[in-house]
Amino acid sequence: MKRYNLAVIGAGPAGLSAAIEAKKHGMEKVAVFDENSRPGGQLFKQIHKFFGSKEHKAKIRGFKIGEDLLAEAEALGVDVHLNSVVAGIYFPMKRLGVIENECLINYSADNIIIATGANENFIPFDGWTLPGVIGAGAAQTMMNLHGVQPGKKILMVGSGNVGLVVSFQLLQAGCEVAAVIDAAPRVGGYGVHASKVARTGVPFYLSHTVVKAEGEDHVTGAVIAQVDSHFKPVPGTEKHIEVDTICMAVGLTPMSKLCSMAGCKMVDKGGAVPETDKYGATSIEGLYAAGDVAGIEEASSAMITGRISALAACRKDCYITDGEFEKEYDELEGSINKLRKGMFSHENKGRTDITKTDEGIDLSMTLLTKGYVSDREIERFPGVVKEKGVHPVIECTQNIPCNPCQDACKFGCISVGEDITSLPYVNKASRCTGCGMCVANCSGQAIFLVNDDFEPGYSTVTIPYEFIPRPSIGDKGTALSRGGEAVCEAEVVDIKVSPVFDHTALLTMKVPKDMSMKARFYKGKEAL
Amino acid sequence: MRIKEHPIIGEIKKGRLVKFTFDGNEMEGYEGEPIAAALKAAGVMVHRHTSKLDRPRGIFCAIGRCTDCVMVVNGKPNTRTCVTALEEGMNVQTQYGVKAKEADEA
Amino acid sequence: MSRYLDRSADIGEFIPQPDDDLIICRCEEITKGEIRKAVHLGMWTMTEVKRLIRPGMGLCQGQTCSKHVKGVIAKELHISPAELDDLTARPPMRPVEMGVFGNEVESHE
Repeated sequence: MKRYNLAVIGAGPAGLSAAIEAKKHGMEKVAVFDENSRPGGQLFKQIHKFFGSKEHKAKIRGFKIGEDLLAEAEALGVDVHLNSVVAGIYFPMKRLGVIENECLINYSADNIIIATGANENFIPFDGWTLPGVIGAGAAQTMMNLHGVQPGKKILMVGSGNVGLVVSFQLLQAGCEVAAVIDAAPRVGGYGVHASKVARTGVPFYLSHTVVKAEGEDHVTGAVIAQVDSHFKPVPGTEKHIEVDTICMAVGLTPMSKLCSMAGCKMVDKGGAVPETDKYGATSIEGLYAAGDVAGIEEASSAMITGRISALAACRKDCYITDGEFEKEYDELEGSINKLRKGMFSHENKGRTDITKTDEGIDLSMTLLTKGYVSDREIERFPGVVKEKGVHPVIECTQNIPCNPCQDACKFGCISVGEDITSLPYVNKASRCTGCGMCVANCSGQAIFLVNDDFEPGYSTVTIPYEFIPRPSIGDKGTALSRGGEAVCEAEVVDIKVSPVFDHTALLTMKVPKDMSMKARFYKGKEAL
Repeated sequence: MRIKEHPIIGEIKKGRLVKFTFDGNEMEGYEGEPIAAALKAAGVMVHRHTSKLDRPRGIFCAIGRCTDCVMVVNGKPNTRTCVTALEEGMNVQTQYGVKAKEADEA
Repeated sequence: MSRYLDRSADIGEFIPQPDDDLIICRCEEITKGEIRKAVHLGMWTMTEVKRLIRPGMGLCQGQTCSKHVKGVIAKELHISPAELDDLTARPPMRPVEMGVFGNEVESHE
């Protein structure tokens, strides 16, 4: 029987990172098993720029991170088994029963890391079995992997990061998003993700649920209704929405069945997860859990937990000394702790009583209920300044772990500080040259350049623009507000594309001077 | 509908265009893409009718987990079309319960 | 995770609800009402309900419905879902054709 030093189950961000780390520290035989035909887990569907800091690969798009991980794993000689279903896991023999090429093949391994990720949650409602009701992951798979629109007009159920990110991706794929709804009273995901959807004109309905999918043999419409504080639909509040697709993004559950099959001690954390120590070691010697299977987090964190588990396995089998382990672990722990801070951290999950930022600024309530910051509220945030000439306006209003804006400006206009969850502020606006690196590098698309001295009576606003067709200089269209309402006419005076902007075009539009703090999106005469 | 050009991904790489049949009708799709993607691009929503209640089902999870999109492919029922690669000349049939409809029953 | 269920607890009568025909298990087409009735027949665990009326025994092996089945049972028993054990995890993790099982081969170095 083939014996590996380490067998990893799942070739997503956690699994690939674990395999790479183990190889780098001298493990000779390292395998990764994945049931899919291509590795990378969900990374290849993530076409947005990641958050975090440089060390977390911030501002790099997910699929690029996937490509890099894969290339590294291959270069190091990791044995990647695709179309391989780990059907059984057996301890204390440390054996895996794997289905490959219509055969059942047994492997043994000194160490096993389970990195199987998560399953999507769904909510049952009247008509939820109709074709056209899909998961958000399905929408991403269809459009970002296979280039097929999941529908023409979509209702998004769920305002967590997945729902928001997928809504934006649907718009990028040329679909229409009829609305984003959530039974919770507050938008669940990052405000910046919500804002980039809201400013295109997509309405948000919080405290709303879907009660019915209409249609005979596929979805032709949806009925939504307001919910009370017990999440029960309020009779009489039903609203019909014409859509052909209902997309559910209502959370994830760790796919931890292999852990319980192996006999791990399990705990309930929004679904059963294996009890682990801080290194990802389960209650069974030689068995580790990393990534979402050990508790739902972002892919950035999964990559780190994968590496930590691999290091722990390396130490156990004496590939590294305790001293080396401690040093590397401390570094990784420091790195992951940066991501685990702020109002979206684990301990704050589901909290609805946070009303101020860490800096003591009142949160935007419009952002939490409608998906965008109101004109009045935006003024109080430290990134929003009024200066002479061109300067950045940073509409980042929540403590999220992210700081590429700080690195983007080589003139030092923008600061976040040590703590990457702090709100960015503009300190030396006068140094701004209008290069737009901050606009392109902001993963949340929350930075704009405003120039109130463009010409008498007119200002310019530079916005990040990730849609096609790209408008051309001279085009005239409509400027939309943060909430997606038409506010004035706008003329495109510049459109910049560059490899360093990584597919984010910088669109500069001319608007009447009093609109420079209102206009945040450009809508051409034709499409978006 | 297929996405012709994408603002981030650019052109989506595909295999060669091949012909297959869906319930006896000739259709086109790209070799290697999931059968479900080819059907979706052609506007097919219903993949099967359930055994007990005869209700229509289609794509739901699109990653091979939920098994809602199963069809009869080259005579083999319960084939997950979202993770089965399209091949030239494939015979794809709507699944009724656990089998395709017999020609004379249709 | 789970405590022993107090089998003598009074959970009341089965009272029909307007959404009893809501499909919970998509594969086996099991409704909320069927699960609730099973609880009132004395099936108080995930395993018992599964053995009686099959939610989670279809093609997807409970990957989509387990959480909901648990929720429905828990609500009927007036307990938290966390107090109910998950279905036993046993191989194979995914549905496998019998023929594949017959093809057991040795892996080689």
